[in-house]
Amino acid sequence: MKRQPLLIGSIVLVSVLVLAAVAAPWIAPYDPMAQSILRRFRPPSAEHWLGTDQFGRDTFSRMLYGARASLTVSVAAVGTALLVGGTLGLLAAFYRGWCDRISMRLMDVLFAFPVMLLAIGVVAILGPTSSSAAVAIAVVYTPIFARLIRAPALVIASSDFVMGARAIGASNARILVHHMLPNLASVILVQTSLLLSAAILVEASLAFLGLGTQPPAPSLGLMLSEGRNVLSFSPWIAVFSGLGIVLLAFGFNLMGDALRDRLDPRLAGHG
Amino acid sequence: MRKAILAAALLAGGWAGGSQAQVLQIAVDGSPAGLDPHLVTAFNSFQVVSGTIYEALTAIDRNLSIVPGLASSWTVSSDGKTYTFQLRSGVRFHSGAEMTAEDVASSIRRVQSPAIGSALASRLAAVDQAVATNPTTVTLTLKEPFAGLLTALAGIAIVPRTLEADKDTLQRAPNGTGPFRFVEWQPNSFIALAKHDGYWQSSRPQLAGVRYSIVPESQTRQAGLGSGQFHMLANIDAATALPLRGRPNVQIQDTLELAYSLIGFNTSKAPFDNPKVRAAINTALNRAEIVQAALFGAGVPGGPLSPALKDWAVDVAEFPCYRPDPARARALLAEAGVSQPITARMIVLPRQDIRDIAQVVQAQLGAIGIRVEIVNQEIGQFVQDWRNSNFDLFASTNAGSIDPDDYFFRAFRTGGSTNVYKYSNPELDRLLDLARTQGNQAERRATYAQVQRMIACEGPAAHIAYAQLFTAHRTTVRGFEILANRSLLSLGQVTIAP
Amino acid sequence: MILRVAGQRLGDLALVMLGMSFLVFAMIRLVPGDAVAIMLGANTEVTPERMAALRAELGLDQPMLVQYGVWLSNVLTGDLGRSLWTGRPVAAEIAGHVWPTVQLTVVALVLGAGLAVPLGCLMATWRGRWADGLLRIVTVLGLTIPSFWFGILMILTLSILAPEVQALGYVPFSEDPLGNLARLALPALALALPILANLARLVRSAMLDALAQDYIRTARAKGLSERAVVYRHALANALIPFVTSVGIMTGYLLGGAIVVEQVFAIPGLGRLVLGAISERNYPLLQATILVITASFVLINFAVDLLYAAIDPRIRA
Repeated sequence: MKRQPLLIGSIVLVSVLVLAAVAAPWIAPYDPMAQSILRRFRPPSAEHWLGTDQFGRDTFSRMLYGARASLTVSVAAVGTALLVGGTLGLLAAFYRGWCDRISMRLMDVLFAFPVMLLAIGVVAILGPTSSSAAVAIAVVYTPIFARLIRAPALVIASSDFVMGARAIGASNARILVHHMLPNLASVILVQTSLLLSAAILVEASLAFLGLGTQPPAPSLGLMLSEGRNVLSFSPWIAVFSGLGIVLLAFGFNLMGDALRDRLDPRLAGHG
Repeated sequence: MRKAILAAALLAGGWAGGSQAQVLQIAVDGSPAGLDPHLVTAFNSFQVVSGTIYEALTAIDRNLSIVPGLASSWTVSSDGKTYTFQLRSGVRFHSGAEMTAEDVASSIRRVQSPAIGSALASRLAAVDQAVATNPTTVTLTLKEPFAGLLTALAGIAIVPRTLEADKDTLQRAPNGTGPFRFVEWQPNSFIALAKHDGYWQSSRPQLAGVRYSIVPESQTRQAGLGSGQFHMLANIDAATALPLRGRPNVQIQDTLELAYSLIGFNTSKAPFDNPKVRAAINTALNRAEIVQAALFGAGVPGGPLSPALKDWAVDVAEFPCYRPDPARARALLAEAGVSQPITARMIVLPRQDIRDIAQVVQAQLGAIGIRVEIVNQEIGQFVQDWRNSNFDLFASTNAGSIDPDDYFFRAFRTGGSTNVYKYSNPELDRLLDLARTQGNQAERRATYAQVQRMIACEGPAAHIAYAQLFTAHRTTVRGFEILANRSLLSLGQVTIAP
Repeated sequence: MILRVAGQRLGDLALVMLGMSFLVFAMIRLVPGDAVAIMLGANTEVTPERMAALRAELGLDQPMLVQYGVWLSNVLTGDLGRSLWTGRPVAAEIAGHVWPTVQLTVVALVLGAGLAVPLGCLMATWRGRWADGLLRIVTVLGLTIPSFWFGILMILTLSILAPEVQALGYVPFSEDPLGNLARLALPALALALPILANLARLVRSAMLDALAQDYIRTARAKGLSERAVVYRHALANALIPFVTSVGIMTGYLLGGAIVVEQVFAIPGLGRLVLGAISERNYPLLQATILVITASFVLINFAVDLLYAAIDPRIRA
């Protein structure tokens, strides 16, 4: 409990993955788009660690760039959802009244859609590109953040120290920024990490269904979808790209989980 | 030819003698959008209805020759403008009604009718009138001689005359004269056909029925064939077929496809209006590499006509631009004097092999400094953009035809019905018009050879490759013959050994 | 009491359904460009008459609010419109695809929930031990393995190890009950995995919560065996949050089914939705999304009521 191997382990895992993705242009051994028809379908070797695909492109390099693409979409989407949904939830909890009622009913409407279905619907409207996948994921997670933030924000808004700050005449903005936000930080951190994990999976599913990143750009979900066509004679493409998705999603989920244990006092005894 | 069919029929009959009639289980990759033979354009629909539910006046055999279909014989007037067809007797629709000359004439009018809006209409553009002279004779009069008529007619299914103005019924409830009648269609699940008891060829079909299961995932289809759940994967590409090679109890047939892949240019837009630029692109393309990468080596680089059309196709070795040479391509671009770098938006048909081809083409054109932006679209958007010439380049596939006119005239003649390239070349127009009137095969062949040389390098389309088409089936399936036009015509003679 | 809660929830439900219906209705109108032209795009011959006819059929030539009113009243009377390509009523298309999905989700839910209870209990009783830690990592892994990847790996493994086993594709239950269930096993397993992981974690923490409560201490003090304490008392209490999550899980299941159906060739609602997207068959897409979402909302409503019925704290 004291040394928290899960937390440290997951932070190391996530850091390594994120660094590898960010540094893809410098550490990838090959150009992810460079084709070499003579080197197609090479199994993993010293030259190509994870083999090559149908066009002779290096799987490892494509995975690094693919992880970068997946992370970009997921981070942008979850960031937007956090900004919009979080703000809505915070304001709703703080001001209560009709503001709360309207925004929460609105969120209920979005929340009523199963996640994948809503995402697919948004992409169906906007057309299949990586940016519409990002919009779709942001739309899906906005109500989730709004609800997640609203509940603890309600508690904090009626706490003694917020009441106290009000009593000494602090402005609403000041209370929101200096008193409410810092107390919500741990919830936000935990949920962002967990939802990033889920967003990575949604992005991969969309790309897998042909509704996200389009070829020839590398994306883990797309690589998996391309790899399944040649599964029986060069399984490494689908196997490794799927593994990449799992590692990313697993890292963020485990980190969120371990963070929750660390930061949520209610669960502290249960680790 | 007749003898060969007879022999096959006897052989098939012999096999059937020892076994119970069975339902042939075929796995296909997509759900058809509809089943009206005059309205559907997708292969998904085509392979369900063509040769199974429907038949036409003429048919195309394994050697791509014209053979009698519902017409047992025909005569052509000396001016080439009147065709008289003698119909077989005893042909019945699945509904039970007897097929007469009136049904044939009405089917031709149906295809030509603007209200029905059939895409096949352009193939019958030369037909002025179809008249039922008596119950077993149909006379077609043409506006001008049209050498490709018999080929075109092989693609015109004969439907009951009562449906001439009805564009809904046949989409869901097909009714033809073929060996199998339609039973049930569960969208996304299966289409079931059953034996047509009143079929005109006695002792056919041998099967009790055919069931098309719709299975989108190729891995699932492969596993299903391996386990014997499916008898056949019909008309599949190399990526699906090659892993099945050598599996126990699985047999693979292949043929060179009539359909071809191509890169089209919008010749109304600079710099693709410049023949030198088009020649440069043709020279930059390495078709052998494309066949390797996108078609798994199962195909041949192709010119404007399929090498399967031995009588017509000019050997690609005769086209100078078919020797890949990036240096020469760059020189051609420089000669063309267009501003560089060239950027181009390429729309891509949403099919795996075409998407793969587009990726290789993008890389190869990148090597001579042409930046291609690939736009992957859904089918609806693609067809719309394609039809409206809303592209710089497109990557697609065409079904191909056994008669050169059927393809060249509508695609490349000024104002042709599928001339989305907006291509106009008076000299080419003259040759295409001339060939239509040439009854002498040798003269016609010479004209089309000239046409092919004219468009191979500087034409509005870079023809890429003709793929090998495969059908994989259980070894217990006997009598099946793969056809280059993807028709499942031979299902009528198929049997399944116990 | 329960009636008042039900009444309140029913009011919320009506509001949510109304908003949801508007969002679904807005779909066609949100398509950039001319939706009708795009819808007809894949068709061979697009004439201005056909476009005008379709526009009138979809009511797109009317003012927006009138359109919504007409559409809503049609939907309420059970008329969901017609599929663009087959011309069949959308309601019939949906009815033809609903059973495989229901069957798949129910089997996956039963499988996931059924295995989650014992697994969660084990984890709770092993708390702090290495086995608990290991299982925890395994459950996170279960949560994050994409079902389509897992499905593909299973198909690959099966076709290598037992190529003659017919466990793929779909046959209706009415035709071949055993074959139907056999073919359902792999997709249900792929779909159930994240549910199993999620619910097992939930059971674990609910059990730990319950075990720390006073009444459990009392039970222990009374000298009841640890097993009796865990199973009779703690588990009963842990079931409350479990039931709530099952409602939320159905949402995941319906979405996950879309992907899994595609991989395993199951002709369910997911295939219908994806097919409708690629055909730009908006009337069909609109109606299918409406039906799936409405059933999701109704299931959660039912779970809410159930929850209120079994949890005394909510009732009070």
